[in-house]
Amino acid sequence: MNLEALAACLTSASCAVTQISTALIVGTLLFLVAAGLSLIFGVLGVINFAHGSFYMLGAYFAFTAYKLTGSFIVALVAGSLGAGIFGVLFERLIISRVYGRDLLMQLLVCYALTLILDDGVKLVYGAEYRMMGMPAAFAVAPVQIAGAFVPGYYLFMVGIAVATGLLLWLAINRTLLGKTIRALAINPQMVGVLGVNTAALYAGVFGVGSLLAGMAGALAAPIRTLTPGIGFSFLIESFIVTVIGGMGSIAGAFLAALLIGFIRAFGAIGFPWFVEGLMFAIMALVLVVKPTGLLGREAA
Amino acid sequence: MRSRLRRDIVVGLILFFVLFFLPTLFPKPALRDFLIYVIAYGLLAMSLNLLIGLTGLVAFGHAAFFASGAYTFALLMQSGRTSIPLAMLAAIVGTTVLALVIGAICVRLKNIYFSFITLAFQMFLHSVILTWVSMTGGDQGLQGGIPRPVFFGIDLNNARTLYSFCVVTFVLCLAIMRQVSESPFGYTLRMIRDNPERANFLGVNVVRMKLGVFVLSGAMASVGGIVLALFVSGAYPEFGFWTTSGEAIFMLMLGGTQLFLGPLAGALLLEALNHYITIYTEYHGMVLGVVILVIVLGLRRGIADSLFAYVTRRRRGRRIDDVKRPILQPTKNEPA
Amino acid sequence: MLRVDNLTKSYGGVKVTRGVSLDFPTGSITAMIGPNGAGKTTFFNLISGHVRPDAGRIVFDDQDIVGLSSLEIVRRGMARAFQVATLFPSLTVREALAAAVISHRGHSWQVLSRFPLQSARARVDELLDLMGLISAADTLSSILSHGDQKLLDIGLALAMNPKMLLLDEPTAGMGPDERWRMIEKVRSLWEKQRITVLFIEHDMDIVFKIAQTIHVLKYGAVLAQGTPDEIRGNDEVIEAYLGTDQRLSEAVGEV
Repeated sequence: MNLEALAACLTSASCAVTQISTALIVGTLLFLVAAGLSLIFGVLGVINFAHGSFYMLGAYFAFTAYKLTGSFIVALVAGSLGAGIFGVLFERLIISRVYGRDLLMQLLVCYALTLILDDGVKLVYGAEYRMMGMPAAFAVAPVQIAGAFVPGYYLFMVGIAVATGLLLWLAINRTLLGKTIRALAINPQMVGVLGVNTAALYAGVFGVGSLLAGMAGALAAPIRTLTPGIGFSFLIESFIVTVIGGMGSIAGAFLAALLIGFIRAFGAIGFPWFVEGLMFAIMALVLVVKPTGLLGREAA
Repeated sequence: MRSRLRRDIVVGLILFFVLFFLPTLFPKPALRDFLIYVIAYGLLAMSLNLLIGLTGLVAFGHAAFFASGAYTFALLMQSGRTSIPLAMLAAIVGTTVLALVIGAICVRLKNIYFSFITLAFQMFLHSVILTWVSMTGGDQGLQGGIPRPVFFGIDLNNARTLYSFCVVTFVLCLAIMRQVSESPFGYTLRMIRDNPERANFLGVNVVRMKLGVFVLSGAMASVGGIVLALFVSGAYPEFGFWTTSGEAIFMLMLGGTQLFLGPLAGALLLEALNHYITIYTEYHGMVLGVVILVIVLGLRRGIADSLFAYVTRRRRGRRIDDVKRPILQPTKNEPA
Repeated sequence: MLRVDNLTKSYGGVKVTRGVSLDFPTGSITAMIGPNGAGKTTFFNLISGHVRPDAGRIVFDDQDIVGLSSLEIVRRGMARAFQVATLFPSLTVREALAAAVISHRGHSWQVLSRFPLQSARARVDELLDLMGLISAADTLSSILSHGDQKLLDIGLALAMNPKMLLLDEPTAGMGPDERWRMIEKVRSLWEKQRITVLFIEHDMDIVFKIAQTIHVLKYGAVLAQGTPDEIRGNDEVIEAYLGTDQRLSEAVGEV
């Protein structure tokens, strides 16, 4: 434990800003992944243990698209959509068969997908590290804030994530489709009886959830190395975020993701081996005090 | 009813003799090593099934007790001040206390919240193991090996003796778990699994019983950890990582949760799969994933359970396993 | 045996039980009737400790039981069977009864002997005989016929050696013959075991034939109480629940 270093960083403006910016990008990536997870759980009741794989797919698809076209926008879209499509396929072909079965079956099926996809990626791309590199559009001088250098790309990431989050929130709470989806979460039979194609909605929601994870992966691709298995750590942390924030709550996922982002960023300086411990301690605390999470509702 | 006890004793003896003499028939050391892994993880899986299959408590964090048994035993032996039996006992007792503390908090939560909080506690313990480098060696694990002083004339430095000792320990633990499973306590747990509210209305103190089985299964899991620590002569943080809990759950699902020896079958199967797949391909994850999908989507339940159901259906229709046993409500649930 | 004073319960502003005061003498067999939503099952939930009342007293066997958990109330001798039989799907009839008996005798923690305990066997056989379930003894609870499930439900409650038995619509979901058999069984149980019985019913023929006293609930309050004759002639009850069909009154009078 190196608490003096932590204190020193907190008092230095430039160090603080650097760490805050790290916290923010970790937080935004986590938010996107966790939002997808939360959505899938809130509407379908499925705990998607394969969610990390969609993050990984998004990163790799973005990487390939960028290498092929040189355009970051295309890469971002490719990563997100690619993951989303895989999500829809997975839901239709496999998940739909385990609805209503016990949790362990769902867990296993998702874990199986993770195993297959991880090795699939290894097969196609090889197990070595890949780097996408910063796209030309963002190869600008970093922004200077309080003596620290914050890459412009970071600001872009945060912006995209916040915009997406808002869009998502609006879509769910202010549109008819969103209302239908919320109704679906509460009483699927009734919605079906009203003539809505519930199967399509299920697939769609799962697709959007995995799209969000893929988007996070695509956004992360320029600044992180790509290897099969990058999904794992995100998976566990996104669960922590979902539990702390509340299953089914987008706003909760946002808050909790930021919290975790800060713990990661500052913890790396002060208590690197105990970062996970702290996160899990908070998760346990939330479960004991308010199991539905900070902003979660009672089970729909 | 008498015949059930007799049948169990016969099965137990057969299992013991098979395990004991297998390495004599096939004297490859690799077989012995393989079987000890099966024993260690088998104990983890069987103990977990007391929670999942018998009581309906889906614990994600069971490896905490596996790790606690391993580390406690290893540290005590490294201190040089205890004998093996004493260290084993202390490790089991220590883990029992740990399980009591953790369980008292977790057992009050239901369903998915229970699952997650057990995971939280396990990963917290894992972090402690990683951080307390001076005590545990951190992410490198315990260095220096585990001494195996002779006790009661038994020298565990001899590989064959070590193996036999593990087999004896294993069968003893199985006997204990079997007895518990077939006792009034075990059937009360089944009541809780099937219908906790009704069990409450029949005078059962559900929370206390859940705590009881939680503690017992933690103790049994610690024995698995002790066996592994003894065998690899060390203890590693992976013993307490969520992937170990995940493997245990795998074994349960592969082998089946309703037949008593199902998890052991699952452990054997998974270890065998891991072993052989890695020989033939480096893409063992993909093969394993496909196997799981086939079993889950095709068979719909563990292998041992499927075999049992098939055999029973061919005999008489009465005690079929086709009953939907609600292990966990599949969708969203309220907390405690 | 059971006395209830001014029992009140609201759920979010809706008063589901309003100032109900009732008396159930020891050894009596009473029926509780009323339209759906009158608060009958809520009443059961309140007296069995499943739900806590907002106000009022509940005195069972000379003891105040408000605030006690349902577990403690069960231990004091109040047992309950449910509208929808809730059983233990993976246990056979014999096993379920044995588990209940063992729980009642405090042997649930026994790990050293095998299940079922020798000592419980006699009682289990007794219960099987009492409920007429001997032929179904080794059938899994989940594949029992509907009627047998309800019988088992009652059997489980009886395993508690209760002083008072609450039956929530014991004949629900049954055809006419099965109904009479079931209620006959309930009546003979009441006579032989000398327990206080309270049952909720919708079938008026059965209610008038079997019950000593009838309590009528409407909108959470007691509308009327009395002997079957009194209730049959009570105008308010007729208007609220029984209906003024002449043929019904005659048919009921005949039975």
